[in-house]
Amino acid sequence: MAGVNKKGFRTKLIALACILGCFQAGWSTFRVYPTWKEDYSPVKGGRDLVSGSLSADQMLFALAGFRELIAGILWVRADSFFETGNYDAILPIIRLVTFLDPHQIDVYATGMWHIGYNFTDEDQRSDRRYLPSALALGAEGAKQNDTTYELFFEESWLWYHKIDDDYPKAVKWMDEAYKRPDMLPARKNLLGRLYERNGQADKSLENWYKLLDVAQKRIDDDKQGRDFQARQNKDTIISNLDTTIVRMAQRGFFAGKEGRPLTDYDVNPPFNVGFSAKVVVTADRVLRVQGTWNVLPVGTRIRFILRDKNYKNAVEGGLLWDKELDSVKLDPPTAETFLQEQLFVRNTRFDKKIDMSRDPTMYPFTQDEYVMEFYYNARSAPQHIQDKFGWNGEGMTDVNPDYISTTIRPGQKCLFYSMPITRDQLLLRGEWADKPVVIKTKNYVETGKDYNKSDNLFDVPGAKPK
Amino acid sequence: MRPILAIAKATVGEAVRRKVLLIIFFIAALLLFIAPLLGVLSARSEKTVLTGFVLGIVQLSSAVIAITLTVYMLPNEVERRTIYTILSKPVQRYQFLVGKYLGAISALAIMMGFMGLITVAEFAIFQKDVAKGISLLQGIAMFFVQMSLLSAVAIFLSTFVAPLVNFFLSGGIYLIGTLGFPFFDSFSRNPNSPALGKGMAWLVTNILPNFASYNVQNPLINPETQISNPLMYALNAVIYGVVYIVVMLILGMIVFDRKEV
Repeated sequence: MAGVNKKGFRTKLIALACILGCFQAGWSTFRVYPTWKEDYSPVKGGRDLVSGSLSADQMLFALAGFRELIAGILWVRADSFFETGNYDAILPIIRLVTFLDPHQIDVYATGMWHIGYNFTDEDQRSDRRYLPSALALGAEGAKQNDTTYELFFEESWLWYHKIDDDYPKAVKWMDEAYKRPDMLPARKNLLGRLYERNGQADKSLENWYKLLDVAQKRIDDDKQGRDFQARQNKDTIISNLDTTIVRMAQRGFFAGKEGRPLTDYDVNPPFNVGFSAKVVVTADRVLRVQGTWNVLPVGTRIRFILRDKNYKNAVEGGLLWDKELDSVKLDPPTAETFLQEQLFVRNTRFDKKIDMSRDPTMYPFTQDEYVMEFYYNARSAPQHIQDKFGWNGEGMTDVNPDYISTTIRPGQKCLFYSMPITRDQLLLRGEWADKPVVIKTKNYVETGKDYNKSDNLFDVPGAKPK
Repeated sequence: MRPILAIAKATVGEAVRRKVLLIIFFIAALLLFIAPLLGVLSARSEKTVLTGFVLGIVQLSSAVIAITLTVYMLPNEVERRTIYTILSKPVQRYQFLVGKYLGAISALAIMMGFMGLITVAEFAIFQKDVAKGISLLQGIAMFFVQMSLLSAVAIFLSTFVAPLVNFFLSGGIYLIGTLGFPFFDSFSRNPNSPALGKGMAWLVTNILPNFASYNVQNPLINPETQISNPLMYALNAVIYGVVYIVVMLILGMIVFDRKEV
């Protein structure tokens, strides 16, 4: 800096540094970082999942760029936990792996299945409070891997098969999967079934025809006739198409569309389901749920829910499962109680013992008031029962109109009945310590018969002629 | 310009002779050679793991080399009193500083270049995929800009901070600028963040260097990722890096000019 006024030169340098300092901040904020977040960040949207969830040494490894390797090794480790049935140990590994490497589609898919089924299956651990976590994990995986159909498909499957009630969501996710070009042809067939479950038989039919055209084109393109799968897929589509048309005719769809009266169809006149129920608290946190359901074929499962009266996100007969889709919480709300069981109907009656005493963390009973709900939705019914009730429950009725609701699920007729119960009653405490707790519908008839014997079939209130 | 280049040249020679740097470089090279064996440890595709691991080694070792190279550069000259012989010649202090910096990043470029060559060779030999190896050079090139930025920060700090403190300070800034940047950014944009914390996060994201933007390995590891305009992005990132380096060097010159040696 010889030959110049040193002080003046330094001032100019400081001014230049300030200007460039402001420029770099603006350039980074508006030109560089937003693009990096969108295109280059390992986690889509740039929200680095790692930062808040790993220990310092793990973070250092992640920082050093070894995310994929560490994630892969952790996933191999998780395999041993699967083999030993240590399901709880797998959850944090799944989360860690998806934090480190959000492009491991298999981990997301397996994680969803693990949370959604292993923790919620009746035989093992029927904790439905985990389902929102499974859905949230799938939604996160789909967002992180939005160029492939896989996690959109898995998310749809969970809505379709596990939630088994909110079919518009299943259709929505399957539609998203459809938009991805890598979706396997055979998997596309599920959309037709979903439309049916969603009460959109016409869209289902339209979809089968579309798929048939695609399948035919695939066969036409196969000049050498070697694509066996293409032929097999076409045969499947034709069979499904036929079945859908038959169902549409049987269930009065075409007649309804043309304004013809429903006379010869199975869904008309509506069938009296003859619902009645009784709940007895047989011991502390042990229930016996009995009742009637006037449908002879085997295959009906009535949903039974016992939950806190003010359970967060609860709706009649279920939950808003995806209310917290933005955050994956692997620990369910431990202070809240939500039980959901299926009451299997045999010989027109159901009778199930529900023991909640074995796992106090699953059923903490911290509130004073609870509700018990009975819910049946024709859309979730097996096909042979849907042939009787229709897709939307058109063929269902009950001599007690209070039991059938047309409002809790718009456009459908559902069985819905709610009974209150208190904590003292469930735990047999206070005034209920010495009194029997019996809560029942007004039409429940005590018969004293053993309905597991085949000769005692028709004691259904309202269905039996007096 | 001539004194700057002469100092840079001397610095490169000095750097490649420094044992500690050579040891770091050889460890990195060794890890790069054994990287293909690690694919079996992971459930993911071998190529994916190899790509992530190789880029991780290059980034980590380059960061260590960059910091080690620059934190001792000025203090050593002062300590060994060699700076007197240089400054007694017609060399200005700013020329000395810039020459040292250019020498440091040239040495870094040589070492990273070798690591890049090993990477390409590795993919050619073990994966039979030269194109993939060459594509990784994009990531290594961005790492080079990142390390040049880190060197500039370290050389600026070395004008007034002791080497050991500088080592950890530069390392800390690098950690915050890479891993912490997305965190602070989301924190400063979150409407629910407390005002004070938000202000601090805003300061961090606007004053500290944004190293995270040079971590472009994601599309290289996951080729299905769609990038809108990679060339434009690289250009913007390089402009940002150069401007920040200039700021650091100017500040370094101002401090170094007033420093008693």
